[in-house]
Amino acid sequence: MAAEAQATATGGLAGEMEVEAYRRLFPLAFLERHLRESVRPDARRPAEARPTTVALAAVSSAHGSALVRLGDTAMLASIKLEVMSPSGEAPDEGSIAVEFHMPPICSPLVRPGRPAEVAPVISKNLEDILMSSGMLNLKELCLISGKASWLAYLDVYCLNADGSLFDAALISAVAAFTHLEIPLVSVGDDGRVFTVGGNEGKAKYELVNREKRKLTITNVPFSLTCALHKDNVLADPTAEEESIIETSVTIVLDSSDQIVSIQKPGGAVTSMTTIKECISLAKDRRRKLREILMDNVEAMEVDQTD
Amino acid sequence: MSAAATAGTYSPASSAGEKRRERKEELRRHLAEDADWPRADGRSFHDCRPAFMQTGPTTAASGSAYAEFGKTKVIVSVFGPRESKKAMLYSDTGRLNCNVSYTTFATPIRGQGTDNKEYSAMLHKALEGAVMLHTFPKTTVDVFALVLESGGSDLPIIISCASLALADAGIMMYDLVTSVSVSCFGKNIIIDPTSDEEAWQDGSLMVAYMPARKEITQLTLTGEWSDGKITNAVELCMDACSKLCDILRERLKDASSLAE
Repeated sequence: MAAEAQATATGGLAGEMEVEAYRRLFPLAFLERHLRESVRPDARRPAEARPTTVALAAVSSAHGSALVRLGDTAMLASIKLEVMSPSGEAPDEGSIAVEFHMPPICSPLVRPGRPAEVAPVISKNLEDILMSSGMLNLKELCLISGKASWLAYLDVYCLNADGSLFDAALISAVAAFTHLEIPLVSVGDDGRVFTVGGNEGKAKYELVNREKRKLTITNVPFSLTCALHKDNVLADPTAEEESIIETSVTIVLDSSDQIVSIQKPGGAVTSMTTIKECISLAKDRRRKLREILMDNVEAMEVDQTD
Repeated sequence: MSAAATAGTYSPASSAGEKRRERKEELRRHLAEDADWPRADGRSFHDCRPAFMQTGPTTAASGSAYAEFGKTKVIVSVFGPRESKKAMLYSDTGRLNCNVSYTTFATPIRGQGTDNKEYSAMLHKALEGAVMLHTFPKTTVDVFALVLESGGSDLPIIISCASLALADAGIMMYDLVTSVSVSCFGKNIIIDPTSDEEAWQDGSLMVAYMPARKEITQLTLTGEWSDGKITNAVELCMDACSKLCDILRERLKDASSLAE
């Protein structure tokens, strides 16, 4: 009995080794054989996105933060507020500075001193989407018109890179902004702004921003990246799929399903029907992501009232 | 972009700056006395913070580990053994390449973490003696650490976390390296200091230790110390290192039993 069990165990191992070797040596053939059965190497359906979790308040040294997991991809977004003097053109507006980081821990392709090529691209796209979607009202970041306003530093760190980095980065950025809590501040004799804590402080100093503790986030953008291979549309590709398939489309939708952005950086030619298919997948995905985020925000509020 | 933006900005500090200084002075006075005064987080002098460690947060790496001690949160990824990227002379032993970086939000004031440039070299020195470099000739093992949040005793936590990540990656080592630091306040020694305590210490001592071999791989001492106190502090650190090592072993056993 024992010998038989051992034999099947080693046989199983050998079988597994062969599949693993096939996967590495012929990645394209490996993927295509899966797609013929309408299934992907990680057992997902082509249009299925990976399980997504959001954890708010992941970093205690920040004013707002969120950790997002999209399958194995992990993103940590954090917002820190600093006081600045607003520019002459927009005296009653604050501003945001977005930076996307890929530290060497996240992927074997990134080494210290040589940042990943995609990082500045994602950084720029993220900033464009946050600014153009109308999610934030920069006037809410104003403290004293013409004198002082908030500069929100949004830093998104990729902790584990396994594909669809932009999607994960956008979810974490949005979640961090919903979690952002603006500290109570007052103005000192020297004209500098300082934070006020505790009930004693609240009574003692004249507060500048008693009401404006949370940003009103009306229009929340969410995105979906689809990898396109021949007739197949693979939603939310992993790093392995991204390395095999050159063509991808990223669609960003706002809360009313309006298109904020469509990006198809190069790759093979694509028909309009495929793009439309991607848009409808993105609509479903947006609804799911919204639910996930709302559940977390509510859970957070319940925690605070307890 | 950020450099230009920082020029005109500042983090609003608490108004109670003076009050805080007073509180710190009080903390100092208490710590300098003989009595075992509870610390700001309720620990006594010789209590470490609860250690939470886990293997495998970064699936893209050969091995990885996450450590959380109080507010200090660290991720270490290990890549390799892989081809050495730098054009270097032939070597029949392997190379260990270490890098420590901080997130911009790790410290209370944005971007201060870059002050700790020497940590990469110190991490390398602490691990070098434990890794069997001859088992991967001509290749490099990369150990990358990212401090998500700095809450004191950063370097010792990075070292312990890195040795767990190396073990997770299956890199051959003579023994696990664990590290613990102590701060000295007057007559007293406090273990596993937080950032506040580190900012006010008279001196500090960090030991990186291989518990099974009973060997020290690194010992750093700064500030004012007397002979007797050093011996005490080193013994205290070594004892804590052994206990921390048991936790590391448990985590490795958990991971391997999960894999089966």
